Amino acid sequence: MSLLVLTMGLFSLGLYGVLTRRDLVAVLASIEVMLGAATLLLVGLAAAGTPAGPSEGAVEATGVMIIVLAAAEAAIGLALVISVAKRFKTTRVDDLAEVKG
Amino acid sequence: MTVASLIFILLGAVATIGAVMTVFARDVTRMAIGLGTFLVAVAGFFVYWGATFLGVAQLFVYVGGVLVLVLFAIMLVHRNPEGSPHLETRHDVSALAVAGGLFIMVVMALRDDVPASVDQGISSGPQELAEAFLGPMLTHFEIGGVLLLAVLVAVVVIVGGEER
Repeated sequence: MSLLVLTMGLFSLGLYGVLTRRDLVAVLASIEVMLGAATLLLVGLAAAGTPAGPSEGAVEATGVMIIVLAAAEAAIGLALVISVAKRFKTTRVDDLAEVKG
Repeated sequence: MTVASLIFILLGAVATIGAVMTVFARDVTRMAIGLGTFLVAVAGFFVYWGATFLGVAQLFVYVGGVLVLVLFAIMLVHRNPEGSPHLETRHDVSALAVAGGLFIMVVMALRDDVPASVDQGISSGPQELAEAFLGPMLTHFEIGGVLLLAVLVAVVVIVGGEER
């Protein structure tokens, strides 16, 4: 129960950050918090020894895959942020509301 | 109170402080420091639970890679001549309702399925990890490699595309 409350609390904090932050870099940082909380719950479940789950090696491998995906997401996201900042001279989410390129 | 629960509470408190700093800090440097604190605490959880390789990978990739990437993005994007940049946050009641509602919903739905204590730990080492990656998860491993290559090319195209 405490594991669930902790990880879901961190996840909800990250979600709140994604919804309320106005700066693109800050939104990405909040997404990192959400991803970290989800990984924490996954590995915590494996460490708690849930019955009939996958093998521990597979769980750790899944954790490594999540880290790889998060690194890829961060790289692409920050490249997009830099590209947006160069083109529109702002990273405020509210100023980037126009869809037409 | 046992030592195990004390370590859990301590690491949880550090992770929560880091996440709160990431979400609420007005100064962009403090936000990066908060993110670093959160990521180090998550790595601490992994090492404490016995997933040593995962903890080391978390430190290398997140704290050494992603955090530096975020700091570089801050340096490149937030060049403010008037001094240190400020982050604006709109404190929205509906956002609080969504985040709080999701928290309550998931905790209520999963409260019987998640074990109360994390005392068993992960006993698998790098050998089991390698067996998983080169055995049943070989496809995942290969797709991960291709994905990283694609990301490398995509980042070069996105950032350097306008200069060609």
